[in-house]
Amino acid sequence: MQDADVIIIGGGIMGCSIAWQLGKYGKRVLVLERKDVAAGSAGATDGVVGYHTKRPGPQMDLAVASIAMFRDLAGELGENIEFDFTAGGMQPAEDKMQYDLLASIAEEQRTSGVDIRMISGDEARALEPNLADDVYGALYCPTSGKVNPLKLTNAFAHAAKRGGAVIQTETEVTGFLIRDGAVKGVCTDRGEYYCDTVVNACGSWAGLTAKMAGLDLPVTPRKGQLAVTEPVDFFMRATIQCALYNIIKFRPEAIRDKRALKLGASLSIEQTENGGMIIGSTREFAGFEKENTFEAIDVMMKRAIRFFPALENVDIIRFFSGFRPYTPDGLPMLGETAALKGFYMAAGHEGDGIALSPITGKLIAELIAEGKPSYNIDVFSPNRFLG
Amino acid sequence: MKNDVIICRCQEVTEQEIIDAIRDGASTVDGVKRRTRACMGLCQGKTCERLIERIIARETGKNPAEILPNNARMPARPITVGLFRDKEGE
Repeated sequence: MQDADVIIIGGGIMGCSIAWQLGKYGKRVLVLERKDVAAGSAGATDGVVGYHTKRPGPQMDLAVASIAMFRDLAGELGENIEFDFTAGGMQPAEDKMQYDLLASIAEEQRTSGVDIRMISGDEARALEPNLADDVYGALYCPTSGKVNPLKLTNAFAHAAKRGGAVIQTETEVTGFLIRDGAVKGVCTDRGEYYCDTVVNACGSWAGLTAKMAGLDLPVTPRKGQLAVTEPVDFFMRATIQCALYNIIKFRPEAIRDKRALKLGASLSIEQTENGGMIIGSTREFAGFEKENTFEAIDVMMKRAIRFFPALENVDIIRFFSGFRPYTPDGLPMLGETAALKGFYMAAGHEGDGIALSPITGKLIAELIAEGKPSYNIDVFSPNRFLG
Repeated sequence: MKNDVIICRCQEVTEQEIIDAIRDGASTVDGVKRRTRACMGLCQGKTCERLIERIIARETGKNPAEILPNNARMPARPITVGLFRDKEGE
């Protein structure tokens, strides 16, 4: 007796997106979540839905397909997800060297047909008047947007439930039932559940979950520290990352500041709909240690004032952190594992999970329900790590 | 009409919204927080956390002592961004 057609492990933004999409095919879906919906990374991040922070190539193409889905998402989900489609994304540079590095990354990004341009310091300040007087220039992407990741995850979960999915929280997976190289069920601290199709959507914990199925898949947590301020009047509309964000991500060899490189620290800042500013962030390898460190906070806050001097008197009300699911090649793992039939991966999006959640749900659902996704995802196959 | 009572003053979250969050699956203070924004304001739940624990206990029949509290984080009270400014850099 099968408990579901598909069991999804992880009630985060990926798991809930996939559950919603599978419901459209009439699949009986059971989501097993260790804690609660959005208890992990989706509730501990900012809401950048941008092209300009994506790795040139297949990941950018995937982002283009995903961001296109955001246009109708709130309507389809029937909830306000605080999506601002034309907030814009900007990366101010402090000098010509940073500017030129950004320009060379942008040139590669533009091969995916996205509007990412380089603008002068004056043009950047005209768009965001609170930007510091000495900013040299900036990368600008007018069509990058922002969303509320908590609201989006909850909206996916509600839509999934309306579509028939059962989301069972406070249920921890402890192992898998495997027969003849195929998955047959999931063992949890609340008992066993039988099914032939399992999706590992555990984000930073996906490597640990895969290990329980005997699969060695390198998804590891990368800590991002952030701060949130008191709500203030309108301060900025775009999501802004300083130039170091893309340089650390795509040209790390160009970074000379050892502390910045170790922490992966750059400024990432946005104002949410309720007025609070989210200020980050770092990319650190520290296991599942989630405490905030003074070293990281100090670097982030100094950079915040450096680019936005007017933040001086704004109050920070909370520091927090989240884990970004890191993979060695910077690409997510999407698809069925060859080593274990019926076991699908949908994890490893690092810092791009919010933006890539709609397309991940759609493609994984198509793959499971129709045997083939509408968009070729071979390059994201988990089998690239399974020799 | 008593469900119109504001429980989280910072974020203006009513008792009814908290009950709705619990029916949506929240069983901890953080669960209510992620669904309603309660505890996300200036006081970070100093006022409403206890009240939310009690509402969860009442609605779910759990012992109030078993309800997981809001995950505490720095700073203990608000601090300005300017506190981190480089003194000699000016």
